[in-house]
Amino acid sequence: MAAIEQEKTDLVEVLSSELDASITLKKERRMWVEIDSKKIVDVCLKALQLGFEHLSTISAVDWLEEGRFELVYHLWSYKYRTSLNIKTKIDRNKPSISSINSIWDTYAETCERECHELFGINFEGNSNLTPLFLEDWQGPPPFLKDFNWREYTLKEHYKEENPREQVYFEVKK
Amino acid sequence: MTSVKKKYDASDFEMFFGPAHPGSGNFSVKVEMRGERVLKATADPGYLHRGFEKLMEYREPMQNSVLSDRVCVLEPLQWNLVHAEAVDDLMDYDVPERAKYIRVILAELSRIQSHFIWYAVLSLGTGFMTGFNVAMGYRDYILDVFNLITGGRVYPAGYICPGGVRKDLPENAEKKILAVLDKIEYMRKFASTENLAWLSRFKEVGILTKEEAIKYGATGPILRGSGFVTDVRREDPYEIYDLLEFDIPVHDEGDAYSRFRVGMEEIEESMKIITQALDRLPEGEVRTPTLKPIVQFRKANGETYIRNELSRGEGAFYMVATGEKTPYRVKIRGPSFSHMIPILERLLTGVNYADVPAIYWSLYQCPADVDR
Amino acid sequence: MKIGPVKEVFKNLFKKPMTVMFPEEVVEIPERNRGRHHLDIDNCISCGSCAKICPNRAIRMIEAPPDFKEKYPKTYPQVDLGKCCFCALCEDVCPKDALTLTTNVFLATFEKEDTYVNPIEV
Repeated sequence: MAAIEQEKTDLVEVLSSELDASITLKKERRMWVEIDSKKIVDVCLKALQLGFEHLSTISAVDWLEEGRFELVYHLWSYKYRTSLNIKTKIDRNKPSISSINSIWDTYAETCERECHELFGINFEGNSNLTPLFLEDWQGPPPFLKDFNWREYTLKEHYKEENPREQVYFEVKK
Repeated sequence: MTSVKKKYDASDFEMFFGPAHPGSGNFSVKVEMRGERVLKATADPGYLHRGFEKLMEYREPMQNSVLSDRVCVLEPLQWNLVHAEAVDDLMDYDVPERAKYIRVILAELSRIQSHFIWYAVLSLGTGFMTGFNVAMGYRDYILDVFNLITGGRVYPAGYICPGGVRKDLPENAEKKILAVLDKIEYMRKFASTENLAWLSRFKEVGILTKEEAIKYGATGPILRGSGFVTDVRREDPYEIYDLLEFDIPVHDEGDAYSRFRVGMEEIEESMKIITQALDRLPEGEVRTPTLKPIVQFRKANGETYIRNELSRGEGAFYMVATGEKTPYRVKIRGPSFSHMIPILERLLTGVNYADVPAIYWSLYQCPADVDR
Repeated sequence: MKIGPVKEVFKNLFKKPMTVMFPEEVVEIPERNRGRHHLDIDNCISCGSCAKICPNRAIRMIEAPPDFKEKYPKTYPQVDLGKCCFCALCEDVCPKDALTLTTNVFLATFEKEDTYVNPIEV
């Protein structure tokens, strides 16, 4: 156990040199790192070899003003009992990044399917990007910040303003 | 003989397991079959997609707290806890000691009632209706306690909220919880007895090896059923779990039966935690007094990733705040997301159709947190 | 033959059932149960906090009926129970404890108008 504790203190340095990026330890057991989107497969593979075996999930954030998508890969190491959150940014107009399905197989594919469906991000190398949740969805990806769901439902499903909805917009936040 | 074989080959067909199947939940699996054998299974979620992640971007944290119950019907208090912790972390709240204990007691009671439902649906899957009725009946005693403390039987409506809990325990609550532990003990014994129906249906069915389990993102009882010792409460302690003593039940076989055994043994550990927490329950405030009842979320800035051990496995919240009234982005990681799509598809390949229900329910399904 | 199941059968024969016969017997409802709203209109200061915090926008601030307008000139919350999720945030936020949730859970009704909890019941 003591050996693992010792390794853990060195882990930040080892990771920094291995991944060639600066690691920030925001609080106990939470490490954050920002990397270039082209290196994502290499970094994930190196993280796996260092003991980060568990891919928790992949989250996408839409930074509208900046014009970029941010992808966060949440990894967890059972050995060192610490999490590593790999952040990377991609262009919003041509959202594309390499798939990590060579490392975490179908689970990574499923997470990427979700991001593809809700944000429209394309994962190169992922052959299975069929929609998970939405059936016969024709509109733009629904979780984008500039997707006006109200306008969309009005156009697609109602002919006019619904008077029953009025109360929802009476109270200003 | 050849003609029969030819006929057999021609009998390739597709079956839909769910969403109208009793007990499958709002989830469907498309099964391609040849005769009795499953060639390929494709999970088809989306029957319960309510877009919580998007909804939460339009609401304030207290309102999100109410919303977070609805992520999963079977463990609303635990989802409450994950959400509350995420906001606590962003706002740097000091949660009072008493509130932490109350949170843990309720989360563990919620885990037990969720495991009862697991037992119930497993019984339903094997046609053991007595087990279903008894488990659902005993779950009701726990729901009575929830009604007493939170005011709602199933949905606590944000009882565990940012900064603590919304109300202190009522006077007779500790006595009621201890009384309910006796009922739980009876049910636990009932569920733990060797049952011929269980053994013949679940033994050596749906074997998931340790390496595969880790690769496919399994967590919680599913991973422990494959022989890997892990528990978020132990490895990434939140609230007061690092002060409490409990064991982590593990079974090595990796089949449906060992997953089920892990779940039933966890009930005992949860009971241990509840008695310890009740013994040490301190006096004092239950909510940071300055923030009642609205959370000043404009102060929050940054991001956080909170993991909790839910009854099904690892549940997590990723929350980004940019100094607005509402969170900028919320991502919910449901434990069933990995169990129900990659692992289910993998385990169903090549099995007999009669084993499909056993595998399906042994993975502790909750379609609600797959879809969110 | 095993004796266990037989014992269980006899034990259950004389056990009190888990359920109750509803109209005659009622399960005791705890004090905290979140049921139908009740507005103490004399305490209401018409601040509108309840309408603001309601996650489902079930609360609308409306004027009192014409007969009572002299006595109650401001606007008061009207709760649409059809939209309400019974989260009791309105109860928590109310500065004068005017709006409360009672233990009344018998909310089934035949008329749509009955789903509204009006500030003054006429």
